[in-house]
Amino acid sequence: MRFAKRGWIGLGIIIGGYLVAAGWVWTHSAPLIPDRPVTIRIAHWQVEAGPPDGMDAVIKRYEQLNPRVRVLQQLIPGIVYKQWMRTNLASGSGADIIEWGAWLEGVRDVPARYFEPVTEALGQPNPYNKGTVLEKTPWQKTFKDNLQGSRNDSPDPGQIFGVTMTECSVRLFCNRQLLREATGSEHVPQTFDEMRKIFLQLDAYSQRTGHRVMGIAGAKDNAEWLLQYLLMDTTLGLNFSIDDSGMLSMYNRQVLAAYLDGRWNWSRPEVRAGLELLRDVGRHMKPGFLQLQRDEATREFLAGDALFIFTGTWDATSLKRLASFEVGALRFPQPAKDDPIAGPYLIGRFQDGGGVTAMAMHLTKNSAHKAEALDFMRFMTSLEGQQLFTDGSGWLPATLEVKIPPAIQSFVSPLDGYTMCQPYSIIGSTVTMEFERNLHLLLGQNGSVDRYVAELDRVMPAAVRADLQTEVSSTLITLRAQDARMIAQARLSGPTQEGIYHAGQRALMESGQTLAEATTMQMMRQLKTAGPAE
Amino acid sequence: MLYPVRGPRLVRRLTLILLITALSGLLFGAAPVKLDDAWRALSDGRDRDALRAIGNDRSTRAAQLAYAATVMSQQPAIDQNMREAEAIFIELAKGDDAIADEAAYLRARLWQLHYFTPDLAKAAELYTELAARHPQSHWAQLGLVKLGLLKLYALPDPASPDRLAPAEALLARIHEPALQRDLHLQIGQAGVVLRQPLRRLIPHLVAADQIGGIGATAYEDLVIQIGELSLRAGLLEQAKVYFTRYLKEYPAALRTFAVRKRLEEAERQLALAAKEGGK
Repeated sequence: MRFAKRGWIGLGIIIGGYLVAAGWVWTHSAPLIPDRPVTIRIAHWQVEAGPPDGMDAVIKRYEQLNPRVRVLQQLIPGIVYKQWMRTNLASGSGADIIEWGAWLEGVRDVPARYFEPVTEALGQPNPYNKGTVLEKTPWQKTFKDNLQGSRNDSPDPGQIFGVTMTECSVRLFCNRQLLREATGSEHVPQTFDEMRKIFLQLDAYSQRTGHRVMGIAGAKDNAEWLLQYLLMDTTLGLNFSIDDSGMLSMYNRQVLAAYLDGRWNWSRPEVRAGLELLRDVGRHMKPGFLQLQRDEATREFLAGDALFIFTGTWDATSLKRLASFEVGALRFPQPAKDDPIAGPYLIGRFQDGGGVTAMAMHLTKNSAHKAEALDFMRFMTSLEGQQLFTDGSGWLPATLEVKIPPAIQSFVSPLDGYTMCQPYSIIGSTVTMEFERNLHLLLGQNGSVDRYVAELDRVMPAAVRADLQTEVSSTLITLRAQDARMIAQARLSGPTQEGIYHAGQRALMESGQTLAEATTMQMMRQLKTAGPAE
Repeated sequence: MLYPVRGPRLVRRLTLILLITALSGLLFGAAPVKLDDAWRALSDGRDRDALRAIGNDRSTRAAQLAYAATVMSQQPAIDQNMREAEAIFIELAKGDDAIADEAAYLRARLWQLHYFTPDLAKAAELYTELAARHPQSHWAQLGLVKLGLLKLYALPDPASPDRLAPAEALLARIHEPALQRDLHLQIGQAGVVLRQPLRRLIPHLVAADQIGGIGATAYEDLVIQIGELSLRAGLLEQAKVYFTRYLKEYPAALRTFAVRKRLEEAERQLALAAKEGGK
């Protein structure tokens, strides 16, 4: 009898377990028959607080407007993103829309191989802007920066592959409560020198209270962002002096070529000044910070163990949602002309990140639903789509005319400074790798500017050469593919509507190809004439 | 009974329709090749679909061209494919129609870009031959632009240390405005890279701008470039015109701050020149 009772209990557990499992599968798996005929997927690595919510809001509205289409958001953590992207694209199973950035190491060839240019669509007004002030504006011109970043990163000059979702700027986030306690004032630093003085007050506060508080939350990522910022400032004049083309901005390939031509190197005083400034700030980060990732810096700041954290507005939503104190977002105080380290090299204020749009989304060449994916890209960057994204994410919009909520108004940088090119540390993936790999020579216990620049000038000629070669290879991939495509466009040209379309496509492609071909030949010549790498 | 002898009427009818459809292929032969489908696939970069659309049909010159163009685009790009495509292009180029010009052009492109070891001199020779044979053909005209690029950057020219001059000489042979514009633009850009005098290269950039129709990305750069290089060359009025145009067309762009400063500088120098002229 007792055995039979136990048997029933066991059976009950099994049946219960089965029902729970069945219920889970029923409610969490995709339906056997999709409820909408078309499903597109969008993948990105912005897993911080904010962007997934913003994207969900965009998707929800898009699905209301387009009952045929289901949009799935895939959140891929940054740590595995490159591997995920490469594997999925190579196997032809990548998402229809994919985020990509030129600074990601080892995936520079991806746009040329796997993404479709959207240049032609960008030349037309975005239909989702109908009835708004942007109704007649070509899609490209609806972006705040005219898609400057996507143009810089294009493997095919003249073609644009990515459309952006947000405007990024970097800010010095401040624990206002701690600032009051440590300095007895709410005054935030306006100059680099004022920031130095606050650091000194903070040391005194730590001694007085026994609570060790660092000036800036430290991690390798944050130090690198800070260095990018400082380098852009101190090398601005140098960059204008090597801008032969007179475009008042330089593409990565031009900066790389200028290096091979001996127009700049890491020992230049302007570069050394930027490195010196970072060492100056680095002294106020916790020991061993080079071993830490950005999450650690965030934790340090949120725990009240650091007064400031230097990061991009991409972290702002996380900081504001998680902090138990008031967080201020300040423009990082740029060194002044009388700064003992940087002063001699400064030519004026530089544009601190604001105005550059990012989170670039790309249309996958092998997408089974290209038209729908492109349509969704139009919606997510339209005035309505961007308003939803901004409100939901707490990130700045990439599109003009979107209303910016008061809470993030301080992230907007006015166009009050120069902008020239990417900082030297991220002009190519091999350069970036060498730069990061050797950072301990600058910021480690026995580090110094001399040791760091000596090593960089030893390894960089080969790294720069490799990156310029990669630029050439990526462009050649797109150039070769265009030859047959142009002939096909010509064969389809004619007096019909389709024929006129193809004639226009052929003309556009020819012109773009000539531009890209000339750029490639310039790079090849520069590689040839610059002599062998040391 | 293992299966019902009398099935529903609808099923029987459907089976009959399917059977007739399947047999019709045998009775009437395969459907004719729709070459436009192949071109559409190729224009979209779908090489496999293009090959599928072409099938085994090589009966027309157009089908041969489509096949060879697809073969040269296939991945992985290997010389064996290029040789196969080139053999077809050589035969097609012997004709006297548009297909002959397209084939001749693609053959030159094979040698410039597609073979594992390019032969730029041979590519230049093929562009020259095509232009001599059918000078008015679009593909010959485009070939002259490509030849111009080779002369600017790649081909050795011991007779002339001036790399711009041979490309400039080609301009008179190009009649299509868009192609002339593209070569003007590239002569100007090469002038920058090759450190030629500004007053020599700027007219090429201005000519490209005046012909018009430059793609959005290159256009924005060009407007600033003409303004800034003009300022450096002392062509102050021209600098002012282009900087002003930039600020009007791109009021919210990142470079507006720098352009505004440069416009102020141009105006300052103009005022200074006017003052000195007045004296």
